[in-house]
Amino acid sequence: MSELVGDQAAVAAPKAQAGPFVPLWGIAVDAAVLVALVVTIARNSGYGLDFFHVFAGALWISTDLLMGFIIGPTIRRLDIPARMVFSKGLMTKMMLVMPTAVICTLASGWQLARSDGLFTSPYSPQHGWILAALIVVALLAVIAYTFLEPANIVVLMELRKPEPNGLLIGRMMQRFLYTAGILGILQLSIIVIMVRLATW
Amino acid sequence: MVNDPQPYAGDTKRSPVVACIVGTIVSCILAAGIIVAHIPGPTPLWGSIMWVCVGAVLTGVTIVLLLTKQPFARRLFFTVAKWVFLYILVLTAMGEYVLVFDGMRGEPLVIMTAVLLLFLVNIPMLWGFSVARHERAAG
Repeated sequence: MSELVGDQAAVAAPKAQAGPFVPLWGIAVDAAVLVALVVTIARNSGYGLDFFHVFAGALWISTDLLMGFIIGPTIRRLDIPARMVFSKGLMTKMMLVMPTAVICTLASGWQLARSDGLFTSPYSPQHGWILAALIVVALLAVIAYTFLEPANIVVLMELRKPEPNGLLIGRMMQRFLYTAGILGILQLSIIVIMVRLATW
Repeated sequence: MVNDPQPYAGDTKRSPVVACIVGTIVSCILAAGIIVAHIPGPTPLWGSIMWVCVGAVLTGVTIVLLLTKQPFARRLFFTVAKWVFLYILVLTAMGEYVLVFDGMRGEPLVIMTAVLLLFLVNIPMLWGFSVARHERAAG
């Protein structure tokens, strides 16, 4: 199956491309967001930290759920040329959005937990829930950094070649979509934990 | 279009390089997790130190494996790894900034810095290797 998908993918893939891997304006936007995050942390602004945590966290969770349960299955049903065009556009944007959303969520979340006294009063009642959130985030990190992103990069690198290896693309796309599904399931548990913490 | 007489699906073998890097990442998370789990109480640091040492040893093994791997598309490896390094550098710098800003000092800061450094080295190696291993290099 993946061989068939891969061969069709290679036929449908655009010819070799040079130039930046991701749009440069996107990198500039990411840099501006990170500067804003640093300033917010330095000022310890409650509103700013809440804003970063809620906005970036919602973006992260929604994207994982969308990828795992809606876009992933939809891509699998598309015909190959449409799948390749869609994936190429989506993946390059994802490479800009997701890392920034993740670092904003984690850095502002850590600061919020600290300013809410979760790390200063000896073992608050929420300690177990905070630990649970950290464990899930650790699992997300391991899966994303070791399986999902490498597969994403391999596909994008292959698509830039004059003669992409269709079989390899097919294998990596399957890995990417299955991994996205696992991340989506883990994100459901993060929602449960965060709602519990927010309504304590 | 693929013109190869035999379809090449990339390097499908299980790689010790990937195993070592995944082991390092898990070790780093355990080392940091032990410290975080004990906050604000006193942290028994020996567990974290042990996991950092495990991660450091596995990183050394990974580097040796990469240096001795033949044939291997080193140029492609470094092309990918250098950009990933830049990206992870931003992330780890942000992590270090938050830790120092929050007043973490002493041995816990040293351990967390070591964890971040291991991340900084291992993630670019993993992503670079993931791309380069599928390239049919000469030799």
